Amino acid sequence: MIDQTRSAPDVVADPAPPPDEAARRATRIPLWANPRIGLTIVLILLVAFFSTVRPSFLNTQLTLVPMQADISVYAVVGLAQLAVLSMGHMNMAVGRMAAMGAFASGLVYDRLGAPMWVDLVVGMLVGGLLGALAGLVIARTGVNSFVVTLALDFALVGLVSLLYSRFTDGVAFPKLAPGMSNLRYDTMSDYCMGNLCGPPVPLVVPFAVVAAIAVGVLFRWSRLGREILMTGANAKAAELSGIPTRRRVIQAHALSGLLAGLAGFLLAANSGAFSASLGDQFLLPSFLAPVLGGTLLVGGAVSVLGTVLGATITQVIYKGLNLLQFGVDQLKLYIGLVLLAALSLDRLRHVLAERRGVQA
Amino acid sequence: MSAPRFIGGSVVRAPEFTLVCLAAAGFVGMTVATHGNMVSGGTLEVFFRFLAVPIVIGLSQMVVLAIGQMNLSVGVLTGYCAMVTAWFMVAQGWAWPLAVLAGILLGGLVGAVNGLLVVVTRINAFIVTLATMTIIDGLRYKVHGPDTFQNYSPQLQRIGRGNLLGLPNVFLVAVVVAVAIWFFFARTVAGRHLLASGGSPFSARLSGVSNDRSIVLAHIISGLLAGVAAVLTVALSGNVNASVGDDLLLPSFAAPIIGGVALAGGVVSVLGTCLAAFLVRLVDVAQAQFGINQRWVDLIVGAVVLGAVLIGAVRQKLAARSAGAAPPGSSPPEPRPPTPDTSVPALEGAA
Repeated sequence: MIDQTRSAPDVVADPAPPPDEAARRATRIPLWANPRIGLTIVLILLVAFFSTVRPSFLNTQLTLVPMQADISVYAVVGLAQLAVLSMGHMNMAVGRMAAMGAFASGLVYDRLGAPMWVDLVVGMLVGGLLGALAGLVIARTGVNSFVVTLALDFALVGLVSLLYSRFTDGVAFPKLAPGMSNLRYDTMSDYCMGNLCGPPVPLVVPFAVVAAIAVGVLFRWSRLGREILMTGANAKAAELSGIPTRRRVIQAHALSGLLAGLAGFLLAANSGAFSASLGDQFLLPSFLAPVLGGTLLVGGAVSVLGTVLGATITQVIYKGLNLLQFGVDQLKLYIGLVLLAALSLDRLRHVLAERRGVQA
Repeated sequence: MSAPRFIGGSVVRAPEFTLVCLAAAGFVGMTVATHGNMVSGGTLEVFFRFLAVPIVIGLSQMVVLAIGQMNLSVGVLTGYCAMVTAWFMVAQGWAWPLAVLAGILLGGLVGAVNGLLVVVTRINAFIVTLATMTIIDGLRYKVHGPDTFQNYSPQLQRIGRGNLLGLPNVFLVAVVVAVAIWFFFARTVAGRHLLASGGSPFSARLSGVSNDRSIVLAHIISGLLAGVAAVLTVALSGNVNASVGDDLLLPSFAAPIIGGVALAGGVVSVLGTCLAAFLVRLVDVAQAQFGINQRWVDLIVGAVVLGAVLIGAVRQKLAARSAGAAPPGSSPPEPRPPTPDTSVPALEGAA
């Protein structure tokens, strides 16, 4: 019975299943059913559509550079959520962990004058510690992750504002570390070696790329990542196979907090301020990106590439509709409709793939 | 110790009892701390008047939690229904009873859409309502942009601010709604079926209960209650704009969770949800009375939610231990195989 009810998440062609399983599934899932290929096609169609209707969509300075910066932030936010979705958990406090991390970054520079890299590390560590705290509570008590992180979110909303009003004169730190403005305004094309200049890619992009690769490697090849996935797929089986499931829960949540801290730092770099309201907008996109990318909420399977694609598609839609002068209300309407349509198609594809595949 | 699934005997169950004591202690404490100001006519009236919406919105979430799902769209749906109700009165010139009815029915309709989407697509309700939340959020601003509706039916506003037997009308409406929901879960076949579907979809199916019907019904009721909350807001405030409902989503979860409703489904506690809303309202009043920074309130509510959940977990463990080899009803549930339509896969049993 368990197999039957769990079949839905398992069929996703994801890096998650163990190698021999993956080989078996590769024959079971036709190529067209790979969600990431579908996403890439949708992405190409969207870009083609927007650039036909509004040629300024391909303007490097006005659209492409800021869009890449936004995609970087939301891809990392999506990865932060993905880290706990891998176990079938949720992190409702992802925005607030980012805010706390950003606060720590700002404070370290403001009080100690620490260089940018130190700020970043401190911010990520604070995020990671908060994540570990959430994970610890979940692992020790067995209470649902949704409730724990929701309560943590409540508590941190208050704490962040209190901290900002205590340590700054208002809602943001007055000065940023040197180098932050480079992260904000420069692209790789500003750095030349002789006549050879880089592509017009903002400097925050490499951070997101490194994060995505690191998370991908973790879940695909590292023992830790595989054990986290196994805990997500079946906690009891994992426990019986000698995996310290409680520790894996804590580690997955710590990773989520760590990535949330990184996302907070990147958003601060993009917007030019460590402010109390940072991260308010993270919750919805954090689910959008992995879910569009084919990661399900039940755990045991993740898709890092899909998450990055999901974040990209969301930002392309936002930017495109923005250029078409849609209001905020219509933007939301269409994002929601796209999400519903994408998920329904995904489901349909699933059913078709299952029907065509060999039923064991 | 009766099985937690049995709500008929829930009044004497420990969590509600604790909550009753807490609420009473908090209320008395506030009365003493404010030198009796708390129980003076005006303050008490305002206290109960603004308790109505939190109770109804908490119940709205509770109904969906009962089947082990979530409804993220309750907050924005309340805002949308409020805007549409006001629009019917101001722009269309409808009489207020008609507009009120339309607002509530609209909530039910959106709830039905939510439920049908969950059932037809088999996508997790969390995701479905996340999507509909985004859509309704957009629709909410489509009704009248960011502008405010005001000067609608003075009669409705008079009722909204009026009292009956010393209690605000809107609070009485909330009480009636709570009793109706209690009756639904405790005494009607559909309500019992709904709980069965939430407790164990598989067993429910084997017993001939249609899980799909339970899911749609739960979402419809949740939507209807969001509509009721919207109408209460319209009657109470005298002017509404599209930001109504922005601050309702988190409290909608806080009330049932503090009230002892499990996210895994199959358990409801109407009294607990109402008492939890009462407690949160007490914290609000304390904030207003003593000029505490609003941020401390968020911090405290967060801590209370977490504390309530932890106490619940400890209690469950103790109960399981004292029950020893008792039948499985009283022990924490086995990790159910997460079906695509349950919201949060539980890890509780394994920990």
